[in-house]
Amino acid sequence: MTDTKTWARVKSPWVLHFNSGACNGCDIEIVALLTPKYDVERFGIKLEPSPRHADVLLVTGAVTHQCAERLKRVYDQMPQPKFVVAIGACACSGGVFEGNYSVVGGVDKVVPVSAYIPGCPPRPEAIIDGVVKLLSAINPPKQKKQAGAPKAEPAPIVEEVKQNAQ
Amino acid sequence: MDFVLDPMLIFRILVFPGFTFILFLTLFCDWVERKLEARIQNRVGPMVAGPGGILQPLADFIKLLTKEDIEPRDTKKLVFRYSPLLAFAIMVFAMCFLPIDGASVLSTGGFDGDLIIILTFATIANFLLFLAGWASANPYGTIGSARVLTQFLGYDIPLYILALTPAFIAGSLNIATIAGSQSLPFILLAPWAFVLFIITIQAELERDPFDVPHSESELVGGLETEYTGAKLAFLHLTRDVQVVFGSALVVLLFLGGSSGPVFFGLDWFFYTLWFVLKLLVVVVISEYITTVVARLRIDQVLTGNWKILLPAALLSLMLTVALVTWVYHPFGIGV
Repeated sequence: MTDTKTWARVKSPWVLHFNSGACNGCDIEIVALLTPKYDVERFGIKLEPSPRHADVLLVTGAVTHQCAERLKRVYDQMPQPKFVVAIGACACSGGVFEGNYSVVGGVDKVVPVSAYIPGCPPRPEAIIDGVVKLLSAINPPKQKKQAGAPKAEPAPIVEEVKQNAQ
Repeated sequence: MDFVLDPMLIFRILVFPGFTFILFLTLFCDWVERKLEARIQNRVGPMVAGPGGILQPLADFIKLLTKEDIEPRDTKKLVFRYSPLLAFAIMVFAMCFLPIDGASVLSTGGFDGDLIIILTFATIANFLLFLAGWASANPYGTIGSARVLTQFLGYDIPLYILALTPAFIAGSLNIATIAGSQSLPFILLAPWAFVLFIITIQAELERDPFDVPHSESELVGGLETEYTGAKLAFLHLTRDVQVVFGSALVVLLFLGGSSGPVFFGLDWFFYTLWFVLKLLVVVVISEYITTVVARLRIDQVLTGNWKILLPAALLSLMLTVALVTWVYHPFGIGV
């Protein structure tokens, strides 16, 4: 039963895109994910319009003081289990805006973040890689018996994400 | 009528061609639509969940069922909770009247006037969807449901009139009789009614170019905006069952229902096969229209309804009545 639940969650992550003060560079890369070239619907990823429908919150840009409250509210509106992915250097740490009078900092200053995807902006391939790593952290693939294959290092977020998924 | 608890009847209601069959047919049609839409847009569509992504709708459904269910403070709790479930139940109940494997789920020939009954069920389901959005205490939900109401009140009238066309040719309001009397499918006898019926079904199902009630770019999620978890799952499922229901109606009224060649004496199997194949043809036509046309504005939708579709439906009925009375019946065509 739990297996079915995890399977369904991994195969159908619906995302909500939130711009907390980005320059639109990362946003364009996110939109590029939905285009025929990258087509993330392959993984069952759908861009949802309402936070109530979403499982994953994609946040771009350094969080401004104005936006921090709104970001928190959007996060609170999402149903459990929910994950946040910080996309771009600014969302990860504040980037070049770190220390600015109008900026709180990275997304993790406001809401808990499950995966960081750095880059300015990150390539669509990098975003897909980050999302797939997040999904495999929820549902680790069964170890294939291959002689000499290097053991994959578990991502540091795995334990926290697993608890969140239960 | 004495009611006997027959195991065969329970099997027919719960498994085939009842609830389980309808559920999986719905999820399958949803997958066909998503794949087709993706291919038309030069994408590949769902790939990872099951072979070719065929389990994608099931994964979406299970995931929504297991998510947290949030009820915002200002919602009308009773309506908010039960209308999605009731809408789904009524649509499945309406499906049970359709002769899928040659007979309806209750394995009777139906009764005179069941065509009107199932159209009424579809209307009630739409009304419950309106209530679902209205109770959700959200401006987008309210606008979405107001649009649902405006649209289905208008498009129900041409739908009923156009559904009367095959009924008139067959001389019966019993849906099994209509399907059964199509030795020559009614699409050949009244192609104009078929085209109008497809357009009206698009509007009734709120699909492009008539999808103003849940136009994502203006209304967030329309009436679904505040819904989470299992309620959202049932709202989505209701929409998908409505698509299957509309397509099934087209199959039964214009494409000869489940009739087709039967081999090896497996009549129920081949009847179901022909029904599902014809259903898929209609779903493909419908999805093709949805994908290639753009969305109309709400005023254009209403103008199109009252100024074009309603007179066209009446003209279609008059043309059919004239042809049947003076051409088809005297020359023995399609009788």
